[in-house]
Formats: sequence, structure tokens, C-alpha cells
Amino acid sequence: MSSGLDIVEQLRLQEEGYAKQLPSKVAQLDQAFSQRHDKDALRTLRFLAHGLAGSGASFGYPELSEVARQLEIKLDAAVEADRLLSGLESEAVGDLLEMLYYATQRRSRQMPSSAAPFTIPINVEKKLIYLVDDDIELAANLALQLGHFGYQAKTFDSPEQLYEAIADPALAAILMDIIFPQGDLAGAEVIMELAMTKHLDAPVVFTSVRNDLPARLAAIRAGAAAYIKKPVDIGALVSTLDELTSNTPPEPYRVLIMDDTEALAEHYAYTLKLAGMLTEVVTDPMSILSHLADFRPDLVLMDMYMPGCTGSELAAVIRQLDNYTMVPIVFLSTENDTNKQLTAMKLGGDDFLTKPITPVHLVSAVSTRLRRYRTLRSFIERDGLTGLLNHAAIKQRLALETARTVRLKHAFCLIMLDLDHFKTINDTYGHLVGDRALKNLAELLKRRLRPTDIIGRVGGEEFAIILLDTESESAAKLLDELRNAFSKVRQYADDHREFNITFSCGVAEYRTGDSADDLYKKADQALYHAKEAGRNQVVIAS
Amino acid sequence: MTTKDLQRILYVEDEPDIQAVARIALEAVGGFQLLVCSSGQEAVAAASAFAPDLILLDVMMPDMDGPSTLVALRTLPEFKATPIVFMTAKVQTSEVARYRQIGAVDVIAKPFDPMTLSDTVRSIWITHNGIPS
Repeated sequence: MSSGLDIVEQLRLQEEGYAKQLPSKVAQLDQAFSQRHDKDALRTLRFLAHGLAGSGASFGYPELSEVARQLEIKLDAAVEADRLLSGLESEAVGDLLEMLYYATQRRSRQMPSSAAPFTIPINVEKKLIYLVDDDIELAANLALQLGHFGYQAKTFDSPEQLYEAIADPALAAILMDIIFPQGDLAGAEVIMELAMTKHLDAPVVFTSVRNDLPARLAAIRAGAAAYIKKPVDIGALVSTLDELTSNTPPEPYRVLIMDDTEALAEHYAYTLKLAGMLTEVVTDPMSILSHLADFRPDLVLMDMYMPGCTGSELAAVIRQLDNYTMVPIVFLSTENDTNKQLTAMKLGGDDFLTKPITPVHLVSAVSTRLRRYRTLRSFIERDGLTGLLNHAAIKQRLALETARTVRLKHAFCLIMLDLDHFKTINDTYGHLVGDRALKNLAELLKRRLRPTDIIGRVGGEEFAIILLDTESESAAKLLDELRNAFSKVRQYADDHREFNITFSCGVAEYRTGDSADDLYKKADQALYHAKEAGRNQVVIAS
Repeated sequence: MTTKDLQRILYVEDEPDIQAVARIALEAVGGFQLLVCSSGQEAVAAASAFAPDLILLDVMMPDMDGPSTLVALRTLPEFKATPIVFMTAKVQTSEVARYRQIGAVDVIAKPFDPMTLSDTVRSIWITHNGIPS
């Protein structure tokens, strides 16, 4: 038997080989589709789709499998009946081919199995930063600190060295001091020259003890992306760098489509998916409640007339549910009687779109609503200081995950985390410094945990984390690495004093029969034990 | 009859990519002895010499598909009772029922997860034969 590493490497090689063939597969599909007036071409198309459906996810393309399967199903109807595609089918197949193309661009390491082992998402890939400062000690220290937040800093002690530094394509940002022995604006001058002579792709962040307008102007003229006053607050710097170098798109919008005509609902779903949204289709109005809870839509797109109830009635019901008083509900209907439209809105709808609607119009109407809703919700659900979920929001998510686990039976953990001796920090250095430490911790958690994990600030210095698909041992291991990393982050007080701060954690894994409150209590107790045992440690609930 | 451990698997699949990833899944991950055939004809010709404990058949193959290969293998006296498992991307309940009716012991959905395929096969083997003594 081969070793584990060998297997991973072998699989990776297979995936690469598969990835290389995808463009030609897509070309074959397009070719077959262009001859869709020929039944044999349709058979070929179905055969190609079948092959991709059955292989994609095994090679790291789960989405490709899913789309290819839908394509195969669509083609099945025509091929089995030995006929050509109808106009509507042809359009749907065209849309699916476009989605399939996008799916070939998106490779995910995740296998379809839920039993996939949890891998700790640490050291994903460190982003490269050039750090130019004549204070070698300070630069080395800053590089070390940035290392804890996922940046790899290469230091230079004079701005001229940048001329020789090969423009590394991996370079994510330049961090540039302004005052050098060469001159009080030497840093800005070199950047300006670099920008004029060479292509300077990376954003430049200036750091300086100077806070006067001439220095700030020089930085702006050199094309500064940001200006950070020294001594550098690592939390602020990391936030800035994260924003500048982020290549992860924001979480896609989630749209629930309620229409009893499945073909039409699917058509809206394709349209919105092409615009990068996640969609879920519900055709039975009576099942909408469970879909709301599971899918947690950012917007509901609803037909007016359905069997069993009307869209307005359903909207009124949704408005009476605690968690959905705010979610936008947009009606989509052939109804063009203004009075009826107004009644529907009075009962809880936000907007009324008339069918038939062009894809462009649908996407634009829906996106505008979604953007506003997200912003509004973030004010309500998020903690202002850290941007993490607040206490109420995290409790709601915990209740949701508990309910979901009862049905889906996957492991998840709740972690309660508390900063050690935080009151002393506040008393010694002031609240502003304490707040900064809280922000630093929030940044570290956001960076190092997976996008699917749920992080909240539940009290002054207390945080709660929900790790999905994770067992307590892996959770504790991960938290311990974070604990270790955070304890090494140097925190700065305004008067140049420095200190380190640690945290303690309690980890509780969901056990069958637990309520959300039980889990909360267990994690809290484990946290208490961690504190009792001397703090700066992670304890798993017994 | 005492149950033996599952060791030898005959795997029939026309797609070279999937052959390769299944080889990793069954040989490297699962530790089985594997013979891969690219068509039903090839499988029928090679089966007797390899003497597999279990046979995995892709359903959709050009010329001779999975079900026809099953029928052809069953005509060979030594494969009257060898467990045969279908692998297919189409796993609707009606189809699974049909495959079972023509004599497949189980159906594995494609795409499979290479890290867990061998566990799936082993559990089918155990369900079919009981725990190895």
C-alpha cells in the first residue's frame, strides 16, 4: 500500500491531467450543440455530458458533475423520444453549457463525500509583501507579526533596493517607509520613480511617523493605496492589507425561487446563477418553511398564483416568522392590475416584477435589493468593533445548526473563547488599546478559519465559534494552533509599550440529543475549566 | 461456506481518466489486487484467468454496455455467483431496482470519491457475504 502522501500526490497528478483535457471537452460539447438540428449530434452531446457528470467530482470538480448531470437529464427527454430539442429546451441547454464552462473554471479540492477529513486551513498560501524600512529591527519584527496573519514579508533596508528586486508576480503589496537617510520623502520619491519607469502592479501602503500634509500629499502623488501612521497598529495594517490583496469574492447572494412551474423556476435559477448567485427552487408552496430555514435566502422571488395559496398570503406568513421580517420578497407574476399589485405589497412584498422579464432586468432588479439588504442586515447582525456576528445572531445560527444536525447528522463544534486577563489590559493601557487587541483577535480568526465557519463576539472579551463538519479533536487542535499564534502577536499600546495577550477556550462537540443551550453550557463549562487550570489553553468538554 | 476477505477486483471501465483514478482508489488506497479492462469483451476474455472475488462494471460503455457484460460473464460457469456491482452516473431508484433485477448486488454512484471508494466496495462485499472470518 502506498503512503498517504503518495496517494494525495497521485490524485493531484490525475486531477491536473483531467483539468488539461477540459477545454477540448468543452469545445466538443459546443461543437455538438451547434449541430443540434441533428439527432446524432444530440446523442453525442448527451454522451459527453454523461461522461463529465460521472467524472467531474472525482477529479475535484463537483460543480461540473452537477451541471453536466442537469444537462444530461435535459437531453434525455429528447433523445429517448427520438426528437429534436424544443425552443425552450434548446435555450435551457445553451444556458447549461455556459454554466458548465464556468464550472470547468472552478476547481474545488472538496470531494463529494461528507466523510472528507477536516484539514486545518492554516498556511493556505502566504501572500508576499515587500517591506522597505531602514530600521532593520522594526522591519524584522513587523515581518514576524505579519507572518502570524498569513503574510510573508521580504525586508529591504533602503528604497533603492526595490529597483533591483525582480518584480515577483506573487507580490501582493509594498509596505514603504517615507523617511530614509537619503531624504525626508525618499520613500515616496522612489515609489513615484518606480511607477513611472516600470510597471508597478502591487498596491503601495506608506507607513511613517510623519503625519503632516506634505508627507501625506507626497504619498498620494506616488499613488498610495493607504497611509498608516507609525507606530504601526498591526490590526489596522492587516485589515488594510486584507482589503487590498483580497482575491476571494464576497459570499454569493442566496435567492430562493418559489414558482409552481418548474421549467420557469429553473430558468430564473439559471439566469441568476449566471450572475453569480446561489439559488434554490421550490415548486411546492407548502414546503417553503423548511427551505427558508435550510437555505437562509437573502431574497425570495415569488410567483403570485400557486396551488394551495397565493403569493401574497405566503409573503404575509413569511413576515410573521421571527427571522424573516426583513428578507426582501419580490413578486414575479403576469399580474398587471396595479390594485392587486399594491395589495400584494401591503401584505409583505417589497417589489413587483411583471412576467415575462428579460434576464438583464431580472438580475438588475434582484441585485439592487440584495445589496441593500446585505448592508442593512450587517448593521443588525454584526458587532461594530470587530465585524463579527453579535450575540443574538450567533445564538440564532447555533439554533439553526443544531436543528440541521439533527436531520443531517454531521459533526459540529461550538467553541467559547475568552481573552485572558483582559480587564488588566484595559486598566493598564486604556480601552482603546483593549479594543485593538479584540480587533486583532477577530482578524486572526477571520483569516485563519474557513469561510463556512461562524464566528461571533458574544460579550466584552468573549467570542463564540461554530466549526461545521468538525469533531472536537480537530477543533481543539486548530484552536490550539490559533492560541499559539495569537499569543505571539505583539500588541502595541500608544506610548510604545508592548505586550502579549493570550486566550482560553472551551470546545464542545454536538452530541445526539443536545439542545443549543446544552451545547452552549458545555462549551462555557469547558472554558471555565481552561481558566481554572491556568488560562492560555484549550479544553474539550467532557 | 466461510467468507473470505475481498482481495481481487475486476474493474471494467472505458474512460482512461476514470480508470486511472479508480486504480489509485482501489490499489493505493484500498490495497486490492486490481485488473482493469477497457471493454466488456476484454473483461469476458480476461475474467477466468484473473479469478476475481468481485466485479465492478461501468454501465454506459460503447459496444457492450454494463448489463450485457454482466449477462456474458454469467454464462461462464465460474462466474455464476460472483458479486457484480454496477457503477453509474444515473442513480434513479427505478434504475437501481432494474440493475438489481438483472443480478447486480449493488450500484455505486459516479462520480465517486477516490478516498472512500474502497470502503464503499468493502461494505458492499460485507453486506453480500457477511463479515470475513
